[in-house]
Amino acid sequence: MNALIVTAVLGVMMMFSSIVLKRNSAIRMLAIVGLLFTFIANVLDSSGVHFFSINIKGMMHFDQFAYFFISISIFCTFIFFLLSAKEMERIGVNYSEYFALIFFILCGIILVASFTSLLILFLGIEIISIPLYILTGSDKKNLKSNEASLKYFLLGAFSTGIMLMGIALFYGSTGSFSVENSVVIAATTSPMLLIGILLLLFSMSFKVSAAPFHFWAPDVYDGAPTVFTSFMATIVKAAAFIAFIRLFSLAFTPLQDRWQLIVAVIIALTLFVGNITAVFQQSVKRMLAYSSIAQSGFMLMALLAFNTFSVEGILLYIVAYSISTMGIFSVLVKMKDSSLEEFNGFAKHQPVLAVALTVFLLSLAGIPLTAGFLSKFYMLKAVMHSGNFLWLIIFAVLMAAVSVYYYFRIIQVMFFKESDSNTIIVSTSFKWLLSALAIIIIVLGVYPQLLLQFLV
Amino acid sequence: MNEVPLTHILVLSTALFFIGMFGLFTRRNMITILMSVELILNSVNINFVAFNKYLFPEKLDGVFFVLFIIAIAAAEAALAIAIIINLYRNHQSIDVDDATEMKF
Amino acid sequence: MIHLLQIDISKAVNEVENAGSYLPIAIQLLLVVGLIGLMLLASHKLGPKRNTSDKLEGFACGIESHGDARKPMAIKYFLVAVLFVLFDVEVIFFYPYALSFKQLGWDGFWAVMMFVGFFLCGFIYIIKKGALQWED
Repeated sequence: MNALIVTAVLGVMMMFSSIVLKRNSAIRMLAIVGLLFTFIANVLDSSGVHFFSINIKGMMHFDQFAYFFISISIFCTFIFFLLSAKEMERIGVNYSEYFALIFFILCGIILVASFTSLLILFLGIEIISIPLYILTGSDKKNLKSNEASLKYFLLGAFSTGIMLMGIALFYGSTGSFSVENSVVIAATTSPMLLIGILLLLFSMSFKVSAAPFHFWAPDVYDGAPTVFTSFMATIVKAAAFIAFIRLFSLAFTPLQDRWQLIVAVIIALTLFVGNITAVFQQSVKRMLAYSSIAQSGFMLMALLAFNTFSVEGILLYIVAYSISTMGIFSVLVKMKDSSLEEFNGFAKHQPVLAVALTVFLLSLAGIPLTAGFLSKFYMLKAVMHSGNFLWLIIFAVLMAAVSVYYYFRIIQVMFFKESDSNTIIVSTSFKWLLSALAIIIIVLGVYPQLLLQFLV
Repeated sequence: MNEVPLTHILVLSTALFFIGMFGLFTRRNMITILMSVELILNSVNINFVAFNKYLFPEKLDGVFFVLFIIAIAAAEAALAIAIIINLYRNHQSIDVDDATEMKF
Repeated sequence: MIHLLQIDISKAVNEVENAGSYLPIAIQLLLVVGLIGLMLLASHKLGPKRNTSDKLEGFACGIESHGDARKPMAIKYFLVAVLFVLFDVEVIFFYPYALSFKQLGWDGFWAVMMFVGFFLCGFIYIIKKGALQWED
């Protein structure tokens, strides 16, 4: 509860900060300090120090998992600010508003990580989506950005409509918005409930961009300003996953055998479409968009088995995926365009950055000794323990092998191609930060308990 | 006069839902598409109120959900109009077919 | 045909399930559509056609019309309209409060005050940003 109120108030503060503070660096400092404060507030909250005592009438419940995920997303946003907050200056004049919107998105993330009522789920998803539509279209003179925000809005509103219809049918058959097993068990036989669950499944697949509901994702990720793409494709996507998993693990387990096969088919399709299409992309930004679709196939596996492996696996996956993708995007932001040729001979100009990028790409591809490998392994093991869907595991491993091809293409271009003498300028602190992130990826790949020990 | 049965209201809301969805997929004018989205949301509102009134009249859950949907729908409409105006300034058109900057 | 229209109504009410009792309505529908179609066709075929420029022009209470109705307007109108939509609809949350004003007591009052406070933040923000400034 602490973090929720702190982020909301900070969002309002950032809105007004452009009137009081004239320098962009001051605004940036305020945002970073505010985020640190939010992090501390959340950690205190999880250890029992509550700043506010508000009766939320059982609509939200903060368990240890929720606190841990909120901490992770605040931490990732912190890294995001350190890596690319400066780049936001180039997008437009409304510098402080971008921070305000990001704080509001965090507010929505906290809501979807802790809901126990479908009302809070709906509000959280909308509080995440509406600022994102604005951030996507924030590059107002750029046609691509305008178009991306239009597409995002249309498909987002469409999926919201489907979700609301699902909630309406859920309410009609159970008479409550509460996300509990007992509510669902009382109405298991109702066909209306089944249709409601199906609609909720489809709309949440929309939000996490799983195939066949993924069509908005490549265009939106491509068109949005690169800084915000890196935020959207990592932290926001992770929050959508947590909402998805929370909804289905809390409420719909009694009907597990009815929807699990559909989820398995969606996962297989997502893995196939994401990986195969990514192979043919020429632009690195678009390739990363498809790779994020492919990665969401792996993350969705947590829905097939609710055991300790899937809980630990999804958190490890979120950390590994978010850090790697943000790292790659933070370098991509500094380049002129996002074509593959930009990376020609990158290792000669920026050896430190090239090594860090290699670690990130290896982690995304799931090569051993990186966090990406271990998280993929946890997810597969979770599905294995549930006993079903052996075909899915084999298929997922095959697709992971395909993904190695397009991640290694960037590495190959960086190290073995002649350079065109176009180099990017980076500060020393940026280099240090990126190297530190690469070290985090490797350390987590060897010793994941460093992260997971906090999840008691 | 007899009370209207619940199924009639559900048929109405389902019809509205699919009319909205049809409009969303077939129309080319962005304002019309926005109206289709509103139609979908309003069909859900009818559903909520009908369920609340007929099946669970002892609590007002459904009606309050409708209030939130209306508020969010207003926010979405305002945002959509802003996006459309911005697109119109760049494209000189509000036809979605003209927005083809990105191709697969 | 007259006989069909004067069918015994009380009997028809008893036989609502019987599809045959809707026959008069069907005949009336056919008549209506046929008659309207015939009249439209007849006026179209028989009437004289003299299209002068005065006649084709849009009629606006006798005042001479000029220009296109779809000419671009200043962006300010749209901005005010959008802001109006937002602030207008948020008032919806006062409605349940107004209904249960007594029962909620002071707790409810402070909760609504907090809501109004956030509301005012938005309002002050748009004023400070100059969104409502009419003159340049």
